[in-house]
Amino acid sequence: MNSLRLVFILVVLELSLMQGVYADSNPVDKVYHPLVVANERKVEWRFVARELEDKNYLAQRLAYGQAITERLIVEAYLSGERDQSDDYGLKGYEIELRYMLTEQGQYWADWGLLLEFEKQHDSDTYEITTGVLFEKEFVHTSLTINALLIYEWGQNLDNEMESEFRLQYRYRYMPEIQPAIEIYTGEDFIGIGPALMGVHRFEGIRQLKWELAFINGFNGEKYDETLRFVLEYDF
Amino acid sequence: MARLRVVLLLIMSLFSSSLLALSEFHLELKDHLFYPSSVTIPAGQKVKLIIHNLDDTPEEFDSFSLNREKVVFAQSTTHIYIGPLKPGEYEFYGRYNPNTARGKVVVVKDQGANHAD
Repeated sequence: MNSLRLVFILVVLELSLMQGVYADSNPVDKVYHPLVVANERKVEWRFVARELEDKNYLAQRLAYGQAITERLIVEAYLSGERDQSDDYGLKGYEIELRYMLTEQGQYWADWGLLLEFEKQHDSDTYEITTGVLFEKEFVHTSLTINALLIYEWGQNLDNEMESEFRLQYRYRYMPEIQPAIEIYTGEDFIGIGPALMGVHRFEGIRQLKWELAFINGFNGEKYDETLRFVLEYDF
Repeated sequence: MARLRVVLLLIMSLFSSSLLALSEFHLELKDHLFYPSSVTIPAGQKVKLIIHNLDDTPEEFDSFSLNREKVVFAQSTTHIYIGPLKPGEYEFYGRYNPNTARGKVVVVKDQGANHAD
């Protein structure tokens, strides 16, 4: 019951702080699920390509993650990004904690928490993200929502609070094929698009998960499309 | 303000659902087999599945149709909440021993006790 009270306080706090603050970076990224499986270990590759009318961005992340308790998983990331001069290099480092607050199916919905800390590679610029993760099952479909609050500070940057919202509505058709719709909001950005994801289970606990989404931005730009791809190997 | 009200309503429903008493159904894991291999539960109700692992190795309960995934440590007990479900059969298996540790949850319309096949 204490964890539910904590959820209540955090949701209200997140939503009240989110009024009027939106993230200025591309919010299209993985939609986090609250579920944590004990003994889980994984390596992950994320790829995001965003194309605007006159420029494009490319970012990739490599991660290793491990559940350290039945409810808590830690992931460490190395992120790379192509800059304005088309050079591709290391952008930053990140550590992420995801905590499963409630047992799957125990309450009306499943809840989790997210905490991320990121440092830029070549400058003293930092970012901390907190978030509430929500998931609700509707027969063969699942609605997942992430409400994230981001604080940036450091060199060459005005300290600022931002927020992001991610939504995924997924049809659990079969393990390998699960179509979905995703919605993202951030500063000057509202994006929506189709997604396809799945999991292939090997012998034992090894499995390969994949996600592919194509998000169209509706933020005034004539052309704003983002392709995101995730490949995750659990072992 | 409207958004805050919606959140409050959601949280209230979340609290109230936790107060309901749930029917409990027991499963044992022994020699990498589920006993019983079939559990009958009532449709339209959330139930608590209690799994006792009597083996010396861990197992991972997995079911795509139930949308559940949970590790049951060696010589320990865990529980999984399932439902409310529509009538039908929902298969589950143990990820570490998928050839032997297999079973199903049978969901029936009328109130059913735990039937072992």
